[in-house]
This record gives sequence, C-alpha cells and structure tokens, in this order.
Amino acid sequence: MSEDSSSSEETNTPTTSISQDTFVTETTTTSAFNIPPEAPPSSSSSNVHLAIQSLSSIVTTVSPSLLSQDQDPAFFLLHNPDISSQVSSLLHLPDSGAGDNNLCRWFYDTFQSSEPNLQLVVLRFLPIIAGLYLSRIVLKKPLAGFEAILLALYAHETTSRAGQAITVSVPDLSYPSIYHESKEPPKDINSAELNLAVISPSLEPHGTVRSTRRARIVGVALELYYSKIYLMPVGSKIDFCKFCKVWSGQDGDICQDGEFEDDQENLELQDDQENLEFQDDQENVGKESVHMEGRIGLPWELLQPVLRILGHCLLGPNKDKKLIAAASAACRSLYSRSLHDINPQAILATRSLLRLSKMALDPNNNVDHTEIPVSNVISL
Amino acid sequence: MVGSQSADSSEHEDQPSSREVWANGICMKTSEVEAKLDEGNIQEAESSLREGLSLNFEEARALLGRLEYQRGNVEAALHVFDGIDLQAAIQRLQPSLSEKQQSRKGRSRGDSQHAVSQHAASLVLEAIYLKAKSLQKLGRLNDAAHECKRVLDAVEKIFHQGIPDVQVDNRLQDTVSQAVELLPELWKQAGCYHEAMSAYRRALLSQWNLNDDSCSRIQKGFAVFLLHSGVEAGPPSLAAQVDGSYVPKHNLEEAILLLMILVRKFNLGKIAWDPSVLEHLTFALSLCGQTSVLAKELEQIMPGCSGRKKAALNLLRKSLHKHEQPDDLIALLLAAKICSEDSHLAAEGMGYAQRAMSNAQGRNEHLKGVAIRMLGLCSGKQAKVSPSDFERSRLQSEALKSLDAAITFEKKNPDLLFELGVLYAEQRNLNTALRYAKQFIDATGGSLLKGWRLLALILSAQHRFSEAEVVIGAALDETAKWEQGPLLRLKAKLKTSQSLPMEAIETYRYFLALVQAQRKSFGSLRSVSQAEDDRVNEYEVWHGLADLYYRLSHWKDMEVCLGKARELKQYSAEVIHTEGVMLQGRGQVDEAMSAYINALLVDPSFVPCKILIGAMLSKRDSNALPAARSILSDALRIEPTNRMAWHYLGIIHRVDGRIADAVDCFQASCMLEESDPIENFSSIL
Repeated sequence: MSEDSSSSEETNTPTTSISQDTFVTETTTTSAFNIPPEAPPSSSSSNVHLAIQSLSSIVTTVSPSLLSQDQDPAFFLLHNPDISSQVSSLLHLPDSGAGDNNLCRWFYDTFQSSEPNLQLVVLRFLPIIAGLYLSRIVLKKPLAGFEAILLALYAHETTSRAGQAITVSVPDLSYPSIYHESKEPPKDINSAELNLAVISPSLEPHGTVRSTRRARIVGVALELYYSKIYLMPVGSKIDFCKFCKVWSGQDGDICQDGEFEDDQENLELQDDQENLEFQDDQENVGKESVHMEGRIGLPWELLQPVLRILGHCLLGPNKDKKLIAAASAACRSLYSRSLHDINPQAILATRSLLRLSKMALDPNNNVDHTEIPVSNVISL
Repeated sequence: MVGSQSADSSEHEDQPSSREVWANGICMKTSEVEAKLDEGNIQEAESSLREGLSLNFEEARALLGRLEYQRGNVEAALHVFDGIDLQAAIQRLQPSLSEKQQSRKGRSRGDSQHAVSQHAASLVLEAIYLKAKSLQKLGRLNDAAHECKRVLDAVEKIFHQGIPDVQVDNRLQDTVSQAVELLPELWKQAGCYHEAMSAYRRALLSQWNLNDDSCSRIQKGFAVFLLHSGVEAGPPSLAAQVDGSYVPKHNLEEAILLLMILVRKFNLGKIAWDPSVLEHLTFALSLCGQTSVLAKELEQIMPGCSGRKKAALNLLRKSLHKHEQPDDLIALLLAAKICSEDSHLAAEGMGYAQRAMSNAQGRNEHLKGVAIRMLGLCSGKQAKVSPSDFERSRLQSEALKSLDAAITFEKKNPDLLFELGVLYAEQRNLNTALRYAKQFIDATGGSLLKGWRLLALILSAQHRFSEAEVVIGAALDETAKWEQGPLLRLKAKLKTSQSLPMEAIETYRYFLALVQAQRKSFGSLRSVSQAEDDRVNEYEVWHGLADLYYRLSHWKDMEVCLGKARELKQYSAEVIHTEGVMLQGRGQVDEAMSAYINALLVDPSFVPCKILIGAMLSKRDSNALPAARSILSDALRIEPTNRMAWHYLGIIHRVDGRIADAVDCFQASCMLEESDPIENFSSIL
C-alpha cells in the first residue's frame, strides 16, 4: 500500500512537483555526492571532503584549506560563527528557496550523504529554512529548493521510525512502577487501562509537499531537529526562537498578561537588542519584511514540536542567557497567539513554560542543596 | 535519626563569632591554624591540630580540608585532600564494616565499634565529597564527577545491602545524600548527558535511604532533564524492572511518571508544595493532549481541551460567578468559545463575549478583537434557533457587524475570513462569500481542507459546477490520499447534480475502495488531523449511492445501498428518511409516511422529513392542510433557506386560495433554488 501511494504522490501538484523533479534529476546527473545510504564508513572523510569543496564555491568563508586542519571539519562547519552568518544571509535572500538554488542543493546533497556529522550541519540551519519557508508560502515565491530539503528530512525520519507513530501511555499510579510501590496487589500491568496518547502519528511517505500536509512535514522535520538538539549550537536555537516570534504574528511584549511582567522587565533590555540585531539582519539581506509579516497557521502538529524545542531552550541543561531571553520572548508571543486563537491546549503549555522560566530566574528556587551547611563550629 | 557525637544542628543557632574546631570533646579556636594556612604551611597547621585535639593524620587533614573549603579556599582545600590516601582509607573500611553488618544482632558489644567505624567512613567520604565540591567550584567538572562517583562506589562497597535505615550516622547519611544529588548535576554541567541520565537512574533506583525532600528534588531534577535535555534516555536496565510494574518506554513517559509521583507525594503531605512540579506536568500532559488526566489529578483544569466541554463549561460558570472572578478575561473567552459551538448555548455565550469585550482593556486591549469575534460567532449561532424572523435577521446582521469589526482588530487572522465566508454564504450573499473563501485559501496557502470545501460549495450554489469541480480537483492534489474522503463526497455530489450518474458512481467506487484500504492498512493510531472517521466515510458512500440510485429509479440497487448504510449507522434519521423516499417512489405511500414519522421520532428537528410529511399531508385532503402548514412552518423555522419547504408551503396557500401568499412562497423558493449549494453550508463547520 505504501509503495503504491508514494508512486502516485509523484503525479500531483503541477507547480511543485515539476520543479521538484527537475531538482532531483539535476542532482543525480551532476553530483558525485549522491552516495547511497549504505556507503561504508571509510567513505566518511571523502564525503566531508566533497561537501566542503562544494560549499566553498558557494560560501566564501569556507575554504578547502580547512580540511588540512587538525579540527574535525564537520564540527567546524557546525560551530563556526562566520560560516553560519554567511549561510544565514544567503538563505535570507529573496529567491533562496528556488529549485535551482546552489545552497539548497548543497543542503539536499549533504543531507543525503548520510554522514551523521554533516547531517547535523544541515539540521543546524533547519530553523531558518523552515522559518522562511512557512512565512513565504503566502508570498507565492519559488520554494522547491526548501521543499526538497524538508522532504529529505521528512523521509529520513519516516525511514528511521519505520513510519510508526510515537505514543505515550500515561501511567496509572495505582499500579506499581519502577519508581514507586503500590499498596494494591500487583495486577497484570497489561490489563491496566492506560491513557494512550499519540505524540506523533504514523508517517506516510510523501514525494511532494501538498499544502494540506505542509505543516505535518515541517513538524516532523522539527521533531528530527529536536532529537539532535543537544548537539546544536546556541545560534541555531536562537534563530529558531526568532522565527517562533515571527510565526506567531504577535508582539508578545505589548500584550502582557500581568503575570509575566517581572521576567519581562528583566529581559527587556536584551530583548530589544535581539530585535535590533534581527532587524539588522533583515536589512543586510535585501530588506525582506519577514518581521511581523510572517504570521502562519499553527496547527497542533506544528506547534507541538515547536513547544518541545522551546522547552529545551528555556529549561534545558545548557543555560545560555541570550538563548533564554530569545526563548522567553518567543514563548510570550506564542502565548499571546494562543489567547487570540483561544486554543486551550496551547494556552496551558505556553503559560506553563512562561511560569517555569520565571521561576527559574527566582533566586529562591535556586538553592544549592549539595552545599554543606556553613557554620563557625567545625567538628570532626 | 540517631544523634551522634558530632555537632547538632541546634548548636548552629548560637554560633560563636569566630570559627572553632571540635574533636574528642576539645574545642580550639582556629585563628592560629588559619594563620599558618595563610602562610601556605599545611604541615604546621596539621601538626598544631593533631596536638591540640589529639587527632591522627587523616582526621587532622580532613578537618583542615573542611576548614579551607569553608573559608572559600577551594584550591587549598584540594591540596589538603590530595594529601590523604583516600583509596587506602576506603579499602581499610570495607571488611570491618561488612563484618559488623553480619553480626548486627550482637548489639551491645558491636555498637560502640560500629559507631567508630561509621565515624571513620563518614570522615573519609566527606573528604572525597568536599574534594568533588572543590573541583566543581574550580570548574573541573569532569574530575569533580569522578570524585563524586567514588563516594557512591565506596558506599556501595562498604554497605553491601544498601544503607541500613536506623543505625546510620547522621553525618554519613548527609554526605551520601548530597553526593547522590550532586553527581547527576555535575555530569549535566560537564555536558555529559548520558552519564547524567545513568546517575539519575542510579540515584533513584538504588537504596540510598534518601529522605523525602532530597528524593523529590532528584525526581524533579530528573523529570525536567528528561523533558527538556533533548537527549533520549532509553529504557531503564532490566535489573531495575520488577515483574508486573510499569516501565516507561521513553523520556516523556518517564518524566510524566516521576511528576505524577511527586504530585501524589504532595497530596499525601510528604513534601512541601512546589508549584513548578505542576507546571512541568501541565506542560508534559498538554504536549500529549492528555489534559483530562491532569483534570482528574487535580479536579481543576483549563477548560475546553478535555473534550468534555459540558463539564468545562460548568467549571467556567462557577469560576465566573460574581463571587469568584467574574472579570477573568481568559475564562470569559473560553466560555464564549464553548458556547459558540452550540446553538442552544449561544445566548449565554453572547453574554460572556460582551463581558469579555468590556474587560479587554489596558494591557489586555489586544484581545478585544477576539472578544468581538466571539460575539459575532455566538450571534450567528443564536440566529439559527431564534423563534421569529425579525429576531433572526437582527441577530444575523449583528453577527456580520461583529465579525466585520473583529477583522479590523485581527487583520492577520485567516479564521475570521473563513467565518465571514460561511456567514455570508448561509445568508446566500454568494459573491461576498466567494471573495472571503478565496482570501482564506490565499491566506492559508491552501493548507486547510475546509477552505477548499467552502469555495466548492459556494461555486456549486452559484451553479458553476465545472468551476467547483476544478476547485475539488486542485484540493485533491493538495491532499494526501487518506484525507480525500470529504472531497470525493463533494465531487460525487457535483457529478450527480450535473446529471452524470456514471461518473458519480465511479467516484463513489473510488471513495469506497479508499475507505476500505484505509481500514486495512491502519490501526487506531493513524493521523486524525483533518481526516474523518472511516465508518462515517463508508456510510456516506452508501448513503450517497442510495440517493443517486433513487434519482435513477433503480430501486433494487437503492435497497442494497440503504442496507449497507443501515449496518454502519443504526437509528439514523437520515437513513430512515431515505428509506421513506424509496417507499414513496415505489408507491407505498403509507409505509413511506410511517418511515418519515419514525425518522422524526429519532431526530425531532430533521427538516427533510418535516417537508415530506407536509407535502404528503397537503395532497391528502383539505382537512389536513392546517397540519401540513404548521409542520412546514416548523421546518422553515429551523432552516429558513430550505427551498422545498417554501415550495410546498406555496402549494398549500394556493390550495387554500391565498394566492398572494402563494406567490410570495414560490418566489422565495425560486430565488433560493438559484443559490442552493449541493450540501448544506453548515456541513463544513
């Protein structure tokens, strides 16, 4: 059945599928990088080699000499701020999402090389790609290049999950668990009526982006991003937070609930700087008015992975001040948006995140319990 | 806990102004020792302690280390601790203590020795622990973690069967608890997330005799880490799994389990209330859409998402009572939203929306547009059940006015475009409706099925069938196979209204094959985002086919299809109605009548049956005319745009000789026919 459907997927949506097809055929004919997924690990250094060589023809801050360094070149690509800022500027160009865009093709080929470290480099830029893509839909710009990358990520996740849904069975505390005992005699846990929730439904293969599946495809790409998020540089996460704000179409700062006023004041300064920087970015790259113009529909299939990523940015183990400021700004905007949509589930989740990030800033909640009691009497 | 010879916490209250050290019942001021330490002379400091308090080398070193640590000289403390051979000390402790464990029964003899050994263990473990803390403060997190781990390894070696509950030395237990808590923190800070995961599990799954507070802190820390670190922990080791107990499959499940345990501990009064636990649980359960579990746990909930809207609304009514928080804007909006979905609650919803409007001030002003929108939606719903024409048109125009006003506040909200489109379409202002439907599709990039369906319905109402078909075709291209059901149904109906029965049957056949394939290939976990239930889909195929065969007067086929439809949906007014239509078509008038009446018993507001009963009665004899007229008026009250009702009402007026009324009715019927969609507009909502 799935074979069947994927082949018929190809024959739809004239505009996207044609450009998509040409895109794919171009890559197969021109590229030597299209190494099959089951390539032996020994080819990994040559993969990296080729990826960097082809990137150096697109991005001036990348030079092939990088390969002679001691440092792992893939790691360097992932973390070098000069490279990411140049790539980001290139992505922000008005026609960057087109099917014949070199950078998009580099992303596509690089991800298909199945080299885990290189795939991380592609994921690093997913926030910008997905952000621009969704905001540009209504502008009717060519987007086949972005779509090809997103579909590659979607296909990767579909394969690695074998299309299976991800579910959560919410525990029933009247049955014992590994972390607690129960007074009742242990019955068969399998007979217990657990609340089964679907976190991410099963995945069907998609050869093209159909408009009604767009949110799902991007959502799954974000799920993939989330699964690698602890390897992502802070800059990538900040990019993501900025786009959340854009997507929400709400300026979280003017619409305070009162409840979140305090942390707002704490972060206001930094926040403004962030905004300024962001607008600078925009001006540098051809004055595309994405800011506040990119409001998109936020169905749960997209919003849920977004919230998980924001949860990581706000409350994850790596406490980076700039990131936390960007993430709480994003959260405020999404909270405001969920009020406008009167979406109870989103209100609950975003409000909890905001409250938690506020609590995290409160010094009373940050007592170090591992410190020994300080006393002037020291005894043996 | 058993007290020990060491300083009790009560002593902390009347602390001396300068530091002093206690050992073997002797007290000594530290100023002299500190001076030596400041000169960098550890040896001399050590010997003055040994002399002054009659200590051995290790004891003196441990005391010095602690002194330096407390003075904030972590580097010096580290230096002091390095001077002790801790490994040897641990090894010395092992056999003696495990022997003691075995001869625990000979208490009177063993007790003092036992205490001494525990004391020695405590000394050594504390030294290692402080070494770890010193390393942490110096930013050498990996080394710190390794030292801290040594404390735990040592405890496991010394106490084979876990730490005994009652006999343990206070201070030893404190050190152990702190080390258990510190280790995952250290790995986390060092960026070694997998080690942190196993440290958390080790803390929670082994016997450390932790008190409720520190255990809860670790559980919460672990839950937060599971939720937000982005690192998948994998399932716990098999050793930890007890038969018949719940074992979480992945991070989210494990985090939810831990948080629920924490909430229960609070409910039992074992730990102090920590609001962040509830927020974390709220976040986690919202992600799963399992807010009803949360509601059960707390019996209070953000209403509207548990699917049990009635219960939610009742809670909201209570919280909006004038003695509670009548001005809570979010509650007002939520209540209005729930009411806007049910025409019998719409009047109540209008009240909430108006209160929300007047409360949307100051920093909440941005929600004014939302409140106005809710007022519009509730008015529109209320119009449908209003008893008089006058009232209805007043409410309808109010609804339009509100939605138009709302869009000036919420320019970027495409939902409003859709709602305006439906409202105009229902009032048969088709050109305006068409404009909004197109805008909605543009604004959403065609990503929502309902937009395509609205556009096709409006075009069909304008009798622009081929254009409607083009729209459906485009929508089918933008839709994954499994979600094409509603579109295929529309396509078949479009074919039917164009008198293309063979093509309609072909569409239905494809639709049916799709539904059946879908049922085979998916379990219960398939995507339900925009799709409908399979059974509903299949029912629609058979019912649509029955209707088609009726038009072709293929009674046998019609009967088969109806039978299939009935299997899927018993006691449906719609099926019984179609059955009646079939009987009437075959000339079995009385049976048809009783079918219609049965259908009305199932659903008293089922309009098509009312119309057919009215029509049949009007043909019978003049005595039945008043009854026919009243039932048709009733049908028009429910559905004022039903052209058939107007048509038969016109016939009754004509028979009764009220020609002018008859003309009005026929005219209404005619006008409505020109703007009749193939499916009711409200079927999209």
